[in-house]
Amino acid sequence: MSPRLMTTSSRMNPAMRIRILAALLLLAAAACSNPLDVQPTTSIPDATAISDGPSAQAALIGAYNGLQSLSLYGEELVELGDLSADNAENSGTYTSYAEVDGNQLHANNSAVADIWLASYDDINRANEIITRVPTITTIDPDQATEILGEAYFLRALNYSNLVKLYGGVPIVTQPATNLADASAVTRASVSDVYGQILKDLDSAAAGISNTDETTQATVGAVAALRARVLLYTGDWAGAEAAAAEVESMGYDLAPRYQDLYSASGNATSEDIFRIIQTEIQESFLSYDYFTRGLGGVYELRPTKDLMHAYDPSFDPDGDISSYNPTDLRGQWNISISGSRVYGSKYRSIVGTEYFPVLRFAEVILTRAEALARLGQLSDAVDEYNRVRERAGLPDDVLGVTVIGPGATVLSTQDQVIARILNERRLELAFEGDRWPDLVRTGLATTVMGISAQATLYPIPQREVDVAPGVTQNPGY
Amino acid sequence: MRLSGTSWVTVGATLLLSLLAGVPSAVAQQTGTVRGTITDSTLHEPVAGAQVRVVGGTMGALSTSTGTYVIHNVSPGSLQIRVQRVGYAMAERTVTVAAGDTAVADFALKQVATVLAPVVAIGYGTENRTNITGAVSSVSASDITNQPVAGIDAALQGKAPGVQVMQNSGDPGNGISVRVRGAASISASNQPLYVVDGVPVQTSDFAQLSPSGQGLTGVTGLDPNDIESITVLKDASSAAIYGSRASNGVVLITTKRGVSGPARFSIDAYLGWQNAERKLDLMNAQQYVQYMNEGAVNDGEDLPFPTDQQYANTNWQDAIFRTAPVGNAHLSVSGGSDRLRYYLDGSYYGQQGIVLGSKYARANGRVNVDYDASARLTLKSSFAIAHENTDRVEGDNSDNGIVTNAIGLPAIYPVMIGSRFSNPDDGLDYTNPVAIGQYDELPTTTDRFIGNIDADYNLSSHLSLTGRLGADVLHMREDQWQSPLVVGTYAFGAGGVAKSAADNGNRYLMESFLTYQGGSDTASAWNIVGGASVEYNKDESNFIRGEGFSSADLHYIDNATNIVSYGGTGPVQHNLVSYFARANYSWKDRYLLSASMRADGSSRFGPDNRYGYFPALSAGWLISDESFMSGFKQHLGSLKLRGSFGVTGNQELPNFAYAGVYGSGNYGSTPGIAPSTFGNPDLKWESTKEWDAGLDWSPFGGRLTVIADYYHKLTSDLLVNRPIPGTTGYQSYWDNIGNVMNRGVELGLQSVNVSADSPNGFTWRTDFNIAFNHNEVTELYKNQPIDGNNFRAIDRVAVGYPIGEFYVLHFLGVNPQTGDAMYQDVDGDGEITSADRTYAGNPQPKFYGGFRNTWSWHGVSLAANLQFSQGAKIFNLMRIFADDGGYHYDNKFTYALSRWQKPGDITDEPRASFDGNSGGTEISDHFIEDGSYLRVQEVTLSWRLPKSLLSFGNLQNSQLYVSGFNLHNFTKYTGYDPDVNSNGSSANIELGTDYYAYPRARTIAIGIRGDF
Repeated sequence: MSPRLMTTSSRMNPAMRIRILAALLLLAAAACSNPLDVQPTTSIPDATAISDGPSAQAALIGAYNGLQSLSLYGEELVELGDLSADNAENSGTYTSYAEVDGNQLHANNSAVADIWLASYDDINRANEIITRVPTITTIDPDQATEILGEAYFLRALNYSNLVKLYGGVPIVTQPATNLADASAVTRASVSDVYGQILKDLDSAAAGISNTDETTQATVGAVAALRARVLLYTGDWAGAEAAAAEVESMGYDLAPRYQDLYSASGNATSEDIFRIIQTEIQESFLSYDYFTRGLGGVYELRPTKDLMHAYDPSFDPDGDISSYNPTDLRGQWNISISGSRVYGSKYRSIVGTEYFPVLRFAEVILTRAEALARLGQLSDAVDEYNRVRERAGLPDDVLGVTVIGPGATVLSTQDQVIARILNERRLELAFEGDRWPDLVRTGLATTVMGISAQATLYPIPQREVDVAPGVTQNPGY
Repeated sequence: MRLSGTSWVTVGATLLLSLLAGVPSAVAQQTGTVRGTITDSTLHEPVAGAQVRVVGGTMGALSTSTGTYVIHNVSPGSLQIRVQRVGYAMAERTVTVAAGDTAVADFALKQVATVLAPVVAIGYGTENRTNITGAVSSVSASDITNQPVAGIDAALQGKAPGVQVMQNSGDPGNGISVRVRGAASISASNQPLYVVDGVPVQTSDFAQLSPSGQGLTGVTGLDPNDIESITVLKDASSAAIYGSRASNGVVLITTKRGVSGPARFSIDAYLGWQNAERKLDLMNAQQYVQYMNEGAVNDGEDLPFPTDQQYANTNWQDAIFRTAPVGNAHLSVSGGSDRLRYYLDGSYYGQQGIVLGSKYARANGRVNVDYDASARLTLKSSFAIAHENTDRVEGDNSDNGIVTNAIGLPAIYPVMIGSRFSNPDDGLDYTNPVAIGQYDELPTTTDRFIGNIDADYNLSSHLSLTGRLGADVLHMREDQWQSPLVVGTYAFGAGGVAKSAADNGNRYLMESFLTYQGGSDTASAWNIVGGASVEYNKDESNFIRGEGFSSADLHYIDNATNIVSYGGTGPVQHNLVSYFARANYSWKDRYLLSASMRADGSSRFGPDNRYGYFPALSAGWLISDESFMSGFKQHLGSLKLRGSFGVTGNQELPNFAYAGVYGSGNYGSTPGIAPSTFGNPDLKWESTKEWDAGLDWSPFGGRLTVIADYYHKLTSDLLVNRPIPGTTGYQSYWDNIGNVMNRGVELGLQSVNVSADSPNGFTWRTDFNIAFNHNEVTELYKNQPIDGNNFRAIDRVAVGYPIGEFYVLHFLGVNPQTGDAMYQDVDGDGEITSADRTYAGNPQPKFYGGFRNTWSWHGVSLAANLQFSQGAKIFNLMRIFADDGGYHYDNKFTYALSRWQKPGDITDEPRASFDGNSGGTEISDHFIEDGSYLRVQEVTLSWRLPKSLLSFGNLQNSQLYVSGFNLHNFTKYTGYDPDVNSNGSSANIELGTDYYAYPRARTIAIGIRGDF
């Protein structure tokens, strides 16, 4: 220590004191500004998120991303469609799934809430695009038209899923600007929802020109969804026309059923619209269906009733090892591991199968059913025989006894329709279609032995709590 | 004025350098010096570490190990010198110092039975306990060291009234929940603020790979051995000086510092053995088979377990539990010259878990140096590093964990079949827990630095300036390995799963404040503090997950064939700018007044609501010192009445909740964006207004100390991530809604029942504390209830109930005719649905506390700690599988043996039902149990080695001891431990749920400590 320091006056040098105080004040004054102006590094402000062509395109991609959700095509939307019905049963530990399986849903069922929330999340992604893209001045008009068309398609798809499960739901076509208004929503009627869907499909058809994608909306996807929606509304002629339009576009059944579910996501001639799933954005379908011995959780499994549907000689009360279907779909979709039967439609345990939202076989079955309901039974049988042939099964012939559950001579309209619904069950098993099919045809009450009220899912309790204008479905 | 981050460091450095360069000081002609020696009046030995101060000024010193002290630079004249040391009565005397002279003031301190520290930390300063006007609890070092727990928070359990510590789970190194005077917040944090030597430290859960319920909080990195004292600022008036983060209380931790004198070594080491404190009563193979078959018969099903078959009879709990060692070694050295004092220590704590595969180890080092650079300038540094290794067991508290599966698997399966582990292909419904313990790993390494440099400069004998730079840097690395050798797991199918995560938390603090101590004498004294503080936080984390490994030996992420997911959050900053001031005034030493104000600006709020203001006011009256009380004082002792009011805040919410933002939303290999937050630009501070009325009473010459408080705190503008209509596309958003009220009574007693005149005499001391808290939600958004995040949705926040009230069906018993469970049909619609759920109790105790007795005689001492909690309800969620009537294949609790079996049976256990038709699977209050307990937390017997044995090696104060921890827990709860919370330390609503929580250990340890 220097001698100077040892001899300084005890009264601090005034200049020194000022220096110290100045430093303190500097600290305090500087504190007023900068440190509190922190910007996020992993997100962007919503006001500027969609502002030009590339960002509009990115937002559209984000809307497809919403469909990958485990609440939608990644897991729950797909699985509940079979679990509520007679195709699958709960074999795991999720209480939410046990309720679905038993058709004894509680309004707070988490899976039922998940589907609702994820569907509206994706609707909002579409709404953001539909509202903002028209205001962008710098975007190429053709690109804007295509983006808007696809956004309308995605909105229609989500509403079509909601209306099938919950009945009439609130129609929201604008992003929420304030919460008070957003909380005042009420449910629309089923026919109004379908009206909105068809309107959106018109807008989609007007916007989309893309014809050769399978993982994004195309002209074919719009028509195929229209066929499905019209079938659900009972517009047989419309459904037939839309399906026929798809048939004119050059789609064809994949040579082998299992090609649709390849772990590498290869496209087939049958694919109309699929959801990409990758190791990073994986689906849980195989994980939930596989046994624990195969690395899954075995949360749900095929019912013996479905096994019997694939293999009429299989005794539902007998040993599962006697299951030996000639139906190639039954061979692919259901397997035995040790003492356990499990769903084997999706076989990559890491969940990389693309999910077929719309595929040509469904369009064929839609057209067949529409024809049958219009009374054109012979055309109907010819139509759906294409699907049977691919499954390695003999053609059905009017007036001839058919093999299968309730084997009978195929002659009346009702018999043909029943036959088509059975074909839909076998073809589309584990793709989430069985429950909506049972509900729309009014068969759910008899097949499942449940009340008519139980054919609609409850509106999630959390939604009723925060938006009191949204009324609960009866019975919940 | 705008400054970049680097300018900030420059400013701070400039400040310190100014102080250093400005060292103008040293002895002056106009000033004098006071020196002296401090001894124990009974033992006639020097007293080290006593605080000596000039009353009414900032000058002071600590006595050295030889009892001497020197205070330079005092103003000439008549000075009041005050000496304080824990365990001794305060002493004061007046000396007269002439300019340039040295006055001598020696003190002989009288030992007193009371153990309350005479000086307590209050945040930006200290205060004599007699002058405290808020609600403040102190815990001394001796109360918290040598416990076989990793963290300070765990060691605080049962030690301070109104400080509720919940262990959550028994995993070594597990994150713990602490609530000071009840939970105030629904969605923001309810954990207190921890301040170590003036630096608010990071305490949140940093782990990304959390087997649910097993967080890793920042508190475990602090070494309890380093601690000199802990002060808990409980009421708003005392905590408000920490403003925005104080509404959950503030825990001020002061670490040990050096005392001048020759180097003095201290050693403390123990070694112990841990076992499970209890095991669950589960069915054996024969009971299980009979039960399950009975369920099948009841439902007309085929027998699932043929009776002519041989079954194993495995006790799975025995298979996963083990006797596990725990040990601690701590060595410190302290000493110094009269201008330089140092304290250095190092310690190692190691613990195996009682469950296979779990482990915790920590190494700590600390260097605390005090340097009197001049008579005016003191520099202090406190640096601590910690290295932690935590091995958590995979999936504890999940559906596929070691503890879970050991409880879930029935006894009928063997652990091994030949030389391999049994697995689901052998019929097991869950994977083999022993195989998980053997093959899976989840090692986590944490490196932590906490440190600060303080410069105290005495501008005059009344005014000092303190500058402080502090840092808290935490790096955590987690590596999980799920082995393909565990048959029946996802990893088995995927060829092994490895995850690797890096978590990084940084906090830097710069602050400076002026302290004025004034007043001519004890008649009127001022203590004023004012300053500013800036705190920078930067957090970053990322993780990567890979699958497909060629061999179980090559299991780091770089050996994976597929990287299947990745994530994390990029560097995110959140900063805090604060101004604070406090004035304490005492008049005639008996009228006390304190007022403080803090303004906090936080980057977590939108530009319009950044600043929050947190005032406080408190007053105290030493009524026993009034002349009209003089007739009573001899009997009544000292009595102080206190009252306070203050406002504190809470800002523990996500960083950009106020802003609507888009995040990424990729689709395949195409990058996309998607809306992620519905912003709320009006978001503002959650604030707590608290009243407190209390008394400090010390009758019988200080042999009994009573501290009692009543408080009422109302938290409003709650930060709630509240559900919003899903039709907006969002599920929830952050909003200021609703109020929560906490009110309660706290009582702390410290009593020396028997005191001794000689060091070898018999003494008996009792410490007791108890706290009653009533927690109630008084307002919510449109008074709509909020459900907890638990996927079984059993917890709820609703007006008129405490936070986290259970909301489930009400079980009415078992129908004696059918054996089916009956539930209350609340809405009377003839069906039991979710609409029939009702409020069914809550996990908040009615009262809790601790009770400690210490007896000593001739160097032998026995201490016993009891800790209790009464009235909390626990949801034993294990019972949805283990008491479900037989719908699941899980093993069952033995109390299911008392099930209904034939018409007329009166029981609370529904009939066995293989198809789940008995109603026994419904989630109801049938599974809610009384979580009251009385725990024998610690019993320690120690023996002070006689001096004759210590002549070699200059040993002093040496003790041998044997301790038992968690020896027994008196409780009716049927799980392992009712002090449980499977949703982890960050849970606010979902408390009191036991979902296969890791059990607590019972520990027996032997140890030695001594000085040389």
